[in-house]
Amino acid sequence: MSPIPAKAGIGLRFQHHRAVLEDRPPVGWLEVHTENYMGGGVPLDFLERIRRDYPISMHGVGLSLGSADGLDDAHLGRVAAAVARIEPGLVSEHLSWSTAAGHYLADLLPLPLTEEALDIVCANVARFQERLGRRVLVENPSSYLRFAHSTIPEWEFIAAVARRTGCGILCDVNNIFVSACNHGWDPLVYLDALDPATIGEIHLAGHSFKTLANGATIRIDDHGSAVIDEVWNLYVEAIARLGAVPTLIERDNNVPPLAELVAEADHAAGLLARAHGLHDAHAA
Amino acid sequence: MPTLREVQSAFARGLIARDTGLAAPFVVEDESIAAAERLGIYRNTFVGTLIQALRNTYPAIERLVGAPFFEGAATVFVGQHPPLGAYLNEYGGEFGDFLAGFAPAASLAYLPDVARLEWVLSSIANAPDAPVLEPAALGSLSEAEQGLVRFEPHPAVRLVRLAFDADVIRQTVIRHDEDSFKGFAPDPQPFWLLAQREGLEPVMRRMTDAEADTTRALFAGQTLAEILTPESMEAQVSVLADHLAHGRFAGFAVAGAA
Repeated sequence: MSPIPAKAGIGLRFQHHRAVLEDRPPVGWLEVHTENYMGGGVPLDFLERIRRDYPISMHGVGLSLGSADGLDDAHLGRVAAAVARIEPGLVSEHLSWSTAAGHYLADLLPLPLTEEALDIVCANVARFQERLGRRVLVENPSSYLRFAHSTIPEWEFIAAVARRTGCGILCDVNNIFVSACNHGWDPLVYLDALDPATIGEIHLAGHSFKTLANGATIRIDDHGSAVIDEVWNLYVEAIARLGAVPTLIERDNNVPPLAELVAEADHAAGLLARAHGLHDAHAA
Repeated sequence: MPTLREVQSAFARGLIARDTGLAAPFVVEDESIAAAERLGIYRNTFVGTLIQALRNTYPAIERLVGAPFFEGAATVFVGQHPPLGAYLNEYGGEFGDFLAGFAPAASLAYLPDVARLEWVLSSIANAPDAPVLEPAALGSLSEAEQGLVRFEPHPAVRLVRLAFDADVIRQTVIRHDEDSFKGFAPDPQPFWLLAQREGLEPVMRRMTDAEADTTRALFAGQTLAEILTPESMEAQVSVLADHLAHGRFAGFAVAGAA
């Protein structure tokens, strides 16, 4: 297992498999979606070769840590098998839910932030960590609604999950920004509530605006564009508080040429270096 | 206060049934954006993600019917067949049967079989890696033991019954060779197709009924003594040898052995 360094990395997508192998881009590490490597064949063959040269992080989207029904045994088993095969430096999932009543809903859905939900998330995270035999990271979500019966601010909720289960936090700075804009939160209050010792990784991504029928706009975390200036500014605030943390550039839609992602990672590396005096925050 | 299970059940039913009213009572309303609009964002992601998953599995179908028709059919399919698990490579296997009963596609009789073929190809592409049975592993068996061998098919191999020249149609469409499709009349006659991931590449070949009979029996785990018949022995052994030579088994067991 290669540990993930406190450098900038990029999300590895199928479109870039061959280019990463051939060009060896100067990034510190790569992150993959766990669900994309649960089968065999071509994707796994590429990843097996790429992991020889880059530390790999595995980021899941389907475990549904917030499900009242508990974790799906079959999916947990697949995650465990993929992690055992790839031996990633970090394993992460989301503070959200996606399965209910036997159906997978193909999205990272928001939780009511209640004491009951906190107990359920903590039980599921504990089971996840026990099954893998390792600490995992849990990522704060983007959200487009709030539940009327929520009683706990999201930043206190995720901090409590980390405190109670011993898991780490994957701090998605873009998600904090998107949710803060959508719900009128102060993103710095969110950052200030996080214990730097629990932060294992930072995510950065682009988002879009959706104009609704009445002309109101809402920000959508679609990972379909470059990181915007406001999010870069919030990232500077984040690393000033949270320290030199491995930082990932994510792109899932409108995936650009590899060089564009590497350039964004290079920018993150420069900010990391400036904040923490790191001489080389990007090269592998 | 509603329980988490109550909220998630209403949310899930609302996404699948396109009824934002089911979960709206739990959601904060504000003057700028109604709860139903906020829920609609999640509904769009739910459907959009699954349409994309189907698009990834069924590229020839999309090309045959065009993107708007495909999206319409996929949207109906998603409502009728929401996924049962989070591993989306396993999602959409019923799409061929769905198309067979989808009235707007009734004039395209070949469509369900092309979809069934694409599902087979997706299944073998995503099948787990597994070691291939080396023929030499059978060398140490006694003659009596050989008759009791049951083979385990490799997970990246499928035998499927299709019609309407589905393999020819798919190949033509995927190669963007639509010109050669003009005037082509698909043959409704059923045929057997063996598909496998050989190395990392998908390979397909048609089989005769006799070859398919032997293959189905082998893949079902029947022993050689149960399968081989004196009058067809030579042809059956030839089929077995071909499977062994192309790595279509992952292992074997001797019936009755501990």
